[in-house]
Amino acid sequence: MTSQLRYYFVPFVLALALHAAAMMALYAGWNPDREESRLIKPRMVHAQLIVLTPPKVRPKSARQPVVEKTPEVKTAPVKAQPEPVEKRPDLDAIRREQERAEREKLLERLAETSFWDTLQEEADDLTASDAADEEAMIARSYQFGVYKLVVANWSRPPSARNNMEAKMLVELVPTGDVVAVTLLTSSGNEAFDRSAEAAVRKARRFEVPVESKLFERYFRRFTLLFRPEDLLR
Amino acid sequence: MPEQISIFEIVANASPPVLAVLAILVLASLASWVMIFQRWFSLRQSIIDMDEFEDHFWSGIDLRQLYSELDGQDDLTSIEKVFVAGFKEYSRLTEQSGADTESIMQGAQRAMRVALTREEESLETHLVFLATVGSTSPYVGLFGTVWGIMNSFRGLANMTQATLATVAPGISEALIATAMGLFAAIPAVIGYNRFSARVEVLMKRYNAFSDELTGILYRAAHSRG
Repeated sequence: MTSQLRYYFVPFVLALALHAAAMMALYAGWNPDREESRLIKPRMVHAQLIVLTPPKVRPKSARQPVVEKTPEVKTAPVKAQPEPVEKRPDLDAIRREQERAEREKLLERLAETSFWDTLQEEADDLTASDAADEEAMIARSYQFGVYKLVVANWSRPPSARNNMEAKMLVELVPTGDVVAVTLLTSSGNEAFDRSAEAAVRKARRFEVPVESKLFERYFRRFTLLFRPEDLLR
Repeated sequence: MPEQISIFEIVANASPPVLAVLAILVLASLASWVMIFQRWFSLRQSIIDMDEFEDHFWSGIDLRQLYSELDGQDDLTSIEKVFVAGFKEYSRLTEQSGADTESIMQGAQRAMRVALTREEESLETHLVFLATVGSTSPYVGLFGTVWGIMNSFRGLANMTQATLATVAPGISEALIATAMGLFAAIPAVIGYNRFSARVEVLMKRYNAFSDELTGILYRAAHSRG
C-alpha cells in the first residue's frame, strides 16, 4: 500500500504543479493581452485622421478682443483665415503700439498709484488667464471626444492616399446635434470628400459643454481636417 | 479604456451547471495528468528493466542459477516474472516422472502466457482512464458551453434592448467550459496514444523473449529426454 502511494505521490505533485503553472500562465497571460490591445488601438486612432480644431478656435478667441468683430468671424470663417496672414504686419504694428501705450500708461500709473495696487492688478490678470486656460482645457477634452467619434465613424474610400486633406466646416446646435456640414477645402478626390462628410453626418450628435459660453466659443462652428497618414501607399 | 474582465471573475460568476462542468473537467485533467506522469515513469522503468534483464540473460548465465537468484524475490520486474513463471513450471514438470517433452513445453508455455497477460494488464493500467477522459471531456465541456449559451440567450429574451454586452459575458463564461474540456482532453489523448504504442512495443519484446525462452527450454527438454 505504501509503495503504491509512493508510485503516485510524485506524479500527483507533478500534475498539481503543472496545473498551478497553467493557472498562473492564464492569470499572467491575461494582462499582456490587455496591454497589447492598449498599445495597438491608439496607433490606429492616432493615424487615421487629424482634427484641427485648435488652430481654428485659437485665432477666433485671440482675435475677438483685438478686432472685436464676432459676427464677421462667425459668418465667414473661411475668408477670415487668410486675412490674418495679410494683415499680420499691421496687427503686429498695432499691438506694438498698444503695448507701448500700455507701458507708458503703466509708468504713469506707477507714478500715481501705489506699488500695492499694481501688484493686485497683476494677480487679477494671472487669475483671469488661469480661467481662460481652464476653459481651453475643458474645450480640448470635448474636442477630443468629437475627434474620437468622427474617427470611429470614418470609413475611408480605397482611393484615399496619405496626405490628402479635406477641410469641413461643422455647425452644431447647443444640444450637440450636427445641423450643417460644408466642405471648405476639397482634397481633390470626390469619394474622399464624401467619406469625410459622411463621417460627420454619421456621428450625428457630439458631446458638447453645457455652458453656453464655452459652446458658443468653441463648438457652434468648427473646422475638421481630414488627413489619413497611416495608409501604406 | 475599460478594465477587461479577468477569466477568474468570469468563472466565479458562472452559473452552477457550468461551474459543475468546470469542476469535473479540472478534476479529470488533474487525474489524467497524474496517470500520465505515473505511466510515463513506470513505462520508462519497464523498458530499462527489460534492457537490463536481456543483457543479463544473454550474458551466458546458467538459467538454473538465474532462476534461483530471482525466485523468492518480492519486487520482480515484469519480464523477470515471465521468466520465473515459465522456468518454475518447466522445472516442476521435468521433476515429475513420466511427463513427456510436449506436455512439459505446453505447461511452460501456458505459465508464461498467463504471466504475460498479467503483465500486459499491469502495463495498461490507467490507459483506459486516459482514453475515457480524452474522448468524453470535450463533450462534457461542450455541454457546459451549450448550457451557458442557452442561459445567456434566455436572459436576453427578457431584455427590451438586446446588446452584445448583455450576452457577451454569458457566452464568454460558456466558452471557458469548452476550453477546459479541450485542455483536459488533448493531453489525455496524446498520452493514451503514446503509452499504448509503448505498451505494444514492450509486449512485442516480452513475447519475443518468451518465444526465445521456449526455444531454449525445448532444446534442453529434448537433450534431457
